[in-house]
Formats: sequence, C-alpha cells, structure tokens
Amino acid sequence: MADKKNYGMVIDTRVCVGCSACVYACKSENSIPEGYCRDWVVQETNGTYPKLSMENRSERCQHCAKAPCVIYCPTGASHYSKDGTVQINRSRCTGCKACLAACPYDARYVHPEGFADKCSLCKHRLDKGLETACASVCPTTSLNLVDLNNPEEKALNMMNGKEVYRQKEHAGTNPSLYWISARNKPGA
Amino acid sequence: MTETTTEIISTKMNPNVIPHLHIWEWHIPLYLFLGGLAGGLLIITAVMIVLKRHFGIGPRDEGEGCPCLAVRFGSILAPVLLAIGMLFLFLDLANKFYVWAFYTTIQPTSPMSAGSWILIAFFPMAVLQAMLVNKKFLRDKNIGIINKLIDWTENHLTLVALLNAHIGIGIGIYTGIMLSFFYARPLWSSSILGMLFLISGISSAAALMLLFAPNHEKPIYSKIDTNALWIEMVVLGLFVLGGITGPANSSGAMMHLIAGDHQMAGISYMLWFWGGFVALGLLIPMFLEFLEAVGVHIRFPLVAPVLVLMGGLLLRFLIVFAGQTYHTFM
Repeated sequence: MADKKNYGMVIDTRVCVGCSACVYACKSENSIPEGYCRDWVVQETNGTYPKLSMENRSERCQHCAKAPCVIYCPTGASHYSKDGTVQINRSRCTGCKACLAACPYDARYVHPEGFADKCSLCKHRLDKGLETACASVCPTTSLNLVDLNNPEEKALNMMNGKEVYRQKEHAGTNPSLYWISARNKPGA
Repeated sequence: MTETTTEIISTKMNPNVIPHLHIWEWHIPLYLFLGGLAGGLLIITAVMIVLKRHFGIGPRDEGEGCPCLAVRFGSILAPVLLAIGMLFLFLDLANKFYVWAFYTTIQPTSPMSAGSWILIAFFPMAVLQAMLVNKKFLRDKNIGIINKLIDWTENHLTLVALLNAHIGIGIGIYTGIMLSFFYARPLWSSSILGMLFLISGISSAAALMLLFAPNHEKPIYSKIDTNALWIEMVVLGLFVLGGITGPANSSGAMMHLIAGDHQMAGISYMLWFWGGFVALGLLIPMFLEFLEAVGVHIRFPLVAPVLVLMGGLLLRFLIVFAGQTYHTFM
C-alpha cells in the first residue's frame, strides 16, 4: 500500500465502559481550557424496559475526507493535512465561526483565545510516530488509531464480521471514525 | 405498538455549542439587515438612474444631470449603511487581529470568502455613483482630485449605475446564501433564502427611501415597496412550503420557526413570525400602501415604511436565531 498516511480510528463500543480517561488524557495533553473539551463520552440507551441496550462511545472530530468545515472556511485556516486529518492553522483563523455552523457533528468550539478549536487527532504525537493521547490511555482498548490506507491486521480482524457504522454518513462527509456497534455484544 | 425509548447522556460541555448552537448573536442579524438594506438602496437608485424616468419611474432631473433628492441621498446611504454593517461583522469575529486573513486568499467553495470580496468591490463603485449624482455640490467644494474623477467619469453614469445594480443584487443575495450553504443547520439549508433576503432588502430599501423622499416623489417609492412586498410574500410562502414539505430535518426546522414555542426576548418564535413579521411587517404595510395608492388618505402615512423596516430586521433575527436553536442535521 501507499506510503501516504490516512489516519482514522476504529472505536470498539462493545468494550467501552465510559470511564472518560480519554477525555482527561486529551485535556492534559492538549491543554484544553477549563469548561471545554475536544472529545467526550456519550452513553446511548435504546429499547423498551426491561429489554434495553446501551452503547458507550468516546466521540470527537470525525476527520472527514469531505469536511464541511474545510469547504466553508473563508481563509483556508481549516485544511486537510497530508496525513488525512483535518487541522486548523491558528494564524489564519479569524474566529468567524463558519466552521462551527458547518460541522454536522458539532465537534468544534471557539477557544477563549479567539480561534476555532477541535480534536487534532494529536497531530504532534502522530508526527513523532506515537498514537493519540486518548488511545494511549484507553484501559479497554476501545480506542484504536489506524492508518486507513494501510490498516493493521488487528484493526481488520476487530471489524471483520461485525456491524460497523460511521456517524451521519448520509451527510456525505466520508468520516474517518469507524464504530463497532454495541449491538455486536452477545445478548444485545 | 410500544414505543421504544432513546436516552442519550453526553459529557460534551462546550459553551455556545451545547445545548444548542449560539455562536451568532445580535451582530450578525443586524449586519445581514444593513447589508440587505445597502444592497436594496444600490439596486433601486441604480435602476432609477438607468431608467431615466421612462415608464413614469425614475429621478426627476434637478439641473446639471443631478437626479432628485431621494436618489442622491439613497446613493450616499448605501455605502454608509454597508460600512456600519461591516463594523458589526468585524465586532463578531472572535479573532479580530486576523481579519486580514480574509483578503490574502480566495476560497472558491466558501460563500463567506466570496462575500468578503464582494463587500470590498461594493465600495468604490457605490461611492463613485454617490459622487456623480451629487456632482453639483461636490463641484462647489472644488477639490482637485474629486473634480478630476467627476470629469473623467461623468459621461458614464449609466454604465456605473448598470454595474451597481448587479453589485447590489450580489450583496442582497449573498446575505442569504451565506446561511443557506450550512446544510448542518436545517432551517438555513434552503436555496431560496438568498432570494428572500434579497427581496426583503429591496422592500426595506424602498421603505427607507419612502421615509426621506419629498412628498411629490413618495408615490414612486410607495409603488416599488408595495410590489416588492408582494414578491416577498410569494418567496416567503415558497420558503415555508419548501421547508414543511421537506424531509424530517427541514420540516422539523421549519415547524420550529413557524410553530415553535422557543422564545426570543420572551415571545415565542410562532408569535414573532406570524404576528410580528407576516402581519405587522408584510400584510399591514402592504394594505396601508395599497390604500394610499388608490387614493384613501391615511392619517399617519409613515407607519407603513417603518413597519416594513422593522419587519426586515425581525426576519434576520428570526432566521439567524431559529436556525441555531434547532438541532443539528440528523
């Protein structure tokens, strides 16, 4: 496969316990200001009592291949990086907030210092060959960094034969996060 | 059938994103209103100049090629109002020192990039028109460079006006298109929003000109305003119908606007929309101006244009706020 990277994540919601370690790892790694977050934990419960099913998942920017924020950004501050992630150039961001309105995942916020901010998939760590802060602390290996151009066997095996979805695919964003549904759990 | 329930608990807490988007407050609706008004003024004054009083509309010549007061004053107001609007746009930026970044690039897929360049293109042409229609007074001031500019361009006023009519339409449509490209916000995601804001800008501009036009010129602007209000009713109807007949995202968002109990300044969207905008901002002024046109004298003839202007402002506030308080594209 190509040398060109295209980073994404495979997130196994079957094993996520919603501990929020990923959230705190991100806050500390990226110095997120108090009251803000680049990733967050969602607990979704579906069904009719007593037959309920629950899915925990750690959500963040989807690093879309066709990202509405990049399409709309008037200055080119939001851009695609060579490694397949979506990044923000702070020295070109006017704080016009168009990207916040454009994002169908509401993954962005305005940093108190004035620029738009969101998950960078820990680009500074990827560049050093490390995995993201959230994936590195995940105690149940629910979070897995993958190179979608050259996925490791582990990631492929994990998804093989399972119900895997991507969020709001019908928005046409071609997101880079793959979710192994909690419906794959026995008895669900 | 038993209904299944869905409960979602999230730890996301980013301010102005959760519980719903709240990124644009009063600055943006006010800018959209002033931008639409400036575009409308430029369109009306330019078309008046081009038409040269054919078909009974157009400026009366007041000597030395200077048209009547309403066109002269309207031409001056257009760039002034747009400059005030752009000030609010600037105030809304969270990273004000980086405003230059708009003007070091052209992003073909970003309506806001196109808009920021149209805003700049507007000024030289609009100011030139304002100077040419007021040349009688500028010549008295006898400023060298301005005299030269007028000498150089005064025979091409029609061409300047023709170009300005198009720039005015560009500005008017842009204020709506800026919002309508955000498909993540279902209420804004309607391609007719650009036309709605354009025609609302024209009706507001006609109302403003009606306010300051001398009495013998008022019927012209009243006529333009009534016609613009008619077209605005049709476009608004299409906007609403397009929403409620659309898929869940669009219909839900439209119902949130026209029948929603979410409040703006203590009054529900539903009441603002039907009572404030449709009744007070469109139907009543249209009826009052119709009465005036058929010769029934109204005791307070200025009520109609003031209502139209307030309706135009209210429309921007409603669309910008209701678009944000409705949930994101699902």
